[in-house]
Amino acid sequence: MASVIYHPEYRRYDFGEDHPFTPARLACLMDLLASLGYPISAVEPPVASREEILTVHGEAYVAAVEALDRGESEAGAMEHGLGTPDNPIFPGMDLAARWLVGGTLHGARLIADGADTRVLQLGGGLHHAARAKAAGFCLYNDLAVAIQEFVSRGWYVAYLDIDLHHGDGVQSLFYESDHVLTVSLHESGYYLYPGTGHIHELGSGSGRGMKINIPLEPFTEGDDYLEAFDAVVPQALSWFSPRVLVVQAGADGHFADPMGDLALTTRTYQALYTRILDLAARHTEGRVLFTLGGGYAPAVVPRVWALLYLTLMDLPVPERLPEDWMVKWAHVLGPGAIATLHDPDPPYPAFAGGEERRRRNRNTVSRLLDSLSRYWF
Amino acid sequence: MLVREIMKTPVTTISPDTTFLEACKLLQEKGIRHLPVMENGILAGVITDRDVRFATSALCPSPQQGSDPVRSAMSASVVTADPSDPIEEAARVMRAQKIGCLPVVEDRSVVGIITNMDLLDALLRLAGVYDSTGRLEVSLDDVPGELARLTSFFGHRNVNIRSVLTYPNGQGLIRTVLRVDTNQTLPLAEALREAQFTVLWPMPKPWLR
Repeated sequence: MASVIYHPEYRRYDFGEDHPFTPARLACLMDLLASLGYPISAVEPPVASREEILTVHGEAYVAAVEALDRGESEAGAMEHGLGTPDNPIFPGMDLAARWLVGGTLHGARLIADGADTRVLQLGGGLHHAARAKAAGFCLYNDLAVAIQEFVSRGWYVAYLDIDLHHGDGVQSLFYESDHVLTVSLHESGYYLYPGTGHIHELGSGSGRGMKINIPLEPFTEGDDYLEAFDAVVPQALSWFSPRVLVVQAGADGHFADPMGDLALTTRTYQALYTRILDLAARHTEGRVLFTLGGGYAPAVVPRVWALLYLTLMDLPVPERLPEDWMVKWAHVLGPGAIATLHDPDPPYPAFAGGEERRRRNRNTVSRLLDSLSRYWF
Repeated sequence: MLVREIMKTPVTTISPDTTFLEACKLLQEKGIRHLPVMENGILAGVITDRDVRFATSALCPSPQQGSDPVRSAMSASVVTADPSDPIEEAARVMRAQKIGCLPVVEDRSVVGIITNMDLLDALLRLAGVYDSTGRLEVSLDDVPGELARLTSFFGHRNVNIRSVLTYPNGQGLIRTVLRVDTNQTLPLAEALREAQFTVLWPMPKPWLR
């Protein structure tokens, strides 16, 4: 069982029509869970205060967000990453983003106070936001604020990022920290935004060796992804001995996602969630905070995150999707949406290049482990 | 990009009478590899860490002592740059002469220095890798107006281009690598294909082809 955190105000985090990071994803997911017979009973978090945002963001940046929010001059917007196709300015964006931060932070406090060990924040995961810059749909870094809450209590935190994209914002905010291990698996920055997350990014100062990146080849399939995960993550956790796991559970690594080129399936995701819970049981006495993240295929995201919910709640996974839900959301799911929770098997026709991708990925992992061994042993 | 934008200042210099020991210490302490040698305020030579090590090595036919002056080991004919030279010209000269640095000279005084490492840094800046960006690779016909058509495609969509690198592929085509200020490169690639561009990356998903 897990505590679920959600607030209706999350839906205000909306960059407008045609923007991929739409709150409709959440509505569709929650409705699916309700149709499956599991209506969400959520803890409603408080909104994050300005001071709480300032624990990881610069004052000038927050002031710029507030000014742009009020419709004041757009001069300087670009330098803060705002007013771009990724991060359009919208009225109420400061408050909307603070709601998401509030949720993730509340989850951290539930765990830090000992109220629960397993928490699912149904939102957030804004891992690209930097100290003084919005980036890649991310305004305020809810993950970093939550991690900072743990760190301020002296906790050691392992951050695990399974989003399609490199978790660059979280990594950079804790690059020198020896209290935060970050591990990001993602499509290689050689090919995909944000262009970082290479194996030689290992942290600096006393945080050296505690920032870990596993960049994977485009079109990497589930088995190879899990192989890389298994080769690095359990070892890293047993070496670091964290007190809590924070997981950014983006769903955009799915093969049908329109933003990237990984080829994970619903079965890969279920296997990942199970592994992460096992790792939490082994290393953090079960303490784990999940957030959502990227994920842009309307017919995929609710299924993947429903699996996340069911796995966290120790509930059985039904085979078929509810018909009433399929009908209600047909306009969003699009034509030809499949009627099962899991992807079909096989999920897609076999395609060439697997041997070379596997060779490259294995070499990446082996070179990464060589570098890390200098710090770990 | 001009030499003045990437050159390092102030420049650590020595005189021809500086000893090998002093030169060696300076190279170590500053973590540098090249020392311009100044005599009477004028550039008289350049000595590198390799020059210093070899001249004082047992493998040298006539090894120098640490207390000897560096004069005999420096390169006396120095290739230099002007602050307003384009960096590609500096790079071409350094490759042609097989040298690792260019003292930057103005009014006969040394105002800066560039090394091969500064040129590598410049390459990174040109490639736009210091920003969070998405990467697109497009093949263009080598005819007037194609690059303009490409860049206006992004302009119309309010997508900021952070860097453009182009090079001929040798078959009448120009490979163009753009770094753009968005993570939505896959949808952009689709739109580019619809606008009749040849997009090399991102590729369509192989199982959909």
